[in-house]
Amino acid sequence: MKLGKEEIKKITLSLMVLTGVLYCYTTMLLGPLARSEAASQGKIKTIEPQIAEAKKQLQKTSAVEARAPVAAAALEEIKASIPEGAPVAWFPPRITEFFKRAGIEKTQARFVKEETEKELTGFRKMIWNIEVPRAEFGVLGAAIAALENEEPLLEVTTVTVDALKDEPQFQHATLIVSTLGK
Amino acid sequence: MALHINLYHEIQKQALVRRRDPLKLGMFGLLIIGVGLVAYYFVRVEQIASLNTRVATLEQEYKKYEPKQKAAKAREDELNENIKVSELLVKRIEGRFYWAPILGRILQNTPTAVQFTKLNGVLATEPFQPASLVMTGIAGSEVPRKTAEDLRTTLAEKIAPDFKKVEAGFSSLEDSDVNVTVAGQSRPVANFIIDIHLKKTEPAPTPVPARKKVAVAAQ
Repeated sequence: MKLGKEEIKKITLSLMVLTGVLYCYTTMLLGPLARSEAASQGKIKTIEPQIAEAKKQLQKTSAVEARAPVAAAALEEIKASIPEGAPVAWFPPRITEFFKRAGIEKTQARFVKEETEKELTGFRKMIWNIEVPRAEFGVLGAAIAALENEEPLLEVTTVTVDALKDEPQFQHATLIVSTLGK
Repeated sequence: MALHINLYHEIQKQALVRRRDPLKLGMFGLLIIGVGLVAYYFVRVEQIASLNTRVATLEQEYKKYEPKQKAAKAREDELNENIKVSELLVKRIEGRFYWAPILGRILQNTPTAVQFTKLNGVLATEPFQPASLVMTGIAGSEVPRKTAEDLRTTLAEKIAPDFKKVEAGFSSLEDSDVNVTVAGQSRPVANFIIDIHLKKTEPAPTPVPARKKVAVAAQ
């Protein structure tokens, strides 16, 4: 079949119109759709990990909450063992009273210094000097044992025991202790 | 066979040509393509709409979780801090150095021929570094140097089970010019200074039950 000149013109024109229509179709109709799709995919890619992270965080917190009561109870118990108020007001009388119960009449506790405990939030470390002017070594040893056992937050860092010149059967002792306060 | 003449063949040929008109066929093809493109467009619109719905659902879900996540994070931080402090406190309590059992051992193992004039125990400032115990005294016996040496070895031996490492040595052991009277007899005297280094087990020793220690020291 042979195409006439008029028909070739019509076909050429039709192809041009078709090209224009296809161009408009892809850029003006499909283009915005593709951009919208890409944006939505991007949002999904962002949100889905965020949701997963949030769910993971909730699970993690639940796991921590499950083991928190034991730690909280221990912490509360320790805090409850520390009397309220300034340590300088309650610690020296407490120590004097303690040594009296242990059979040592005269004791003197003095505040030396306070040290920072960065990791122990809510607590402060205090250093005290305890003077025991006269005590028998055995009684003193028993008193130190009782002190170490009854005061879990207290640690004896230095212990010095000297024999008294006039009464060598008795000793003079100096204890440097560290303790924790609120 | 009879001869058959088709007198309509011209008309039929024209009708065939009309049916196969390229312009008409082209227009028909274009129409099909156009319908296909329109259908594809609507399919895509539907896909994007469902995608947008999913995004909206996810955003709503995240809005629901976001405050919970922030609260959970804050709660977790708070709980972790409490747990950390609690663990550190327990570790500190359980890892304490107890002087009383050592004083108890000294009391139990010091012979009557020995008298301490000074005892000085110091904890190391760094955790798990050796503590030191310096004991100054006099030994009065027939062989005062041997008495002092026996005391050193006995103390090292008796204290050793409670520690990872115990080192006991003399920083001084000298004969004295003066004699002492022990049980009515004059005895030569040696002045000594025993230096003991006590290293605890790492990370922390198993805590001995509290009441037991009182009993040991009280003995």
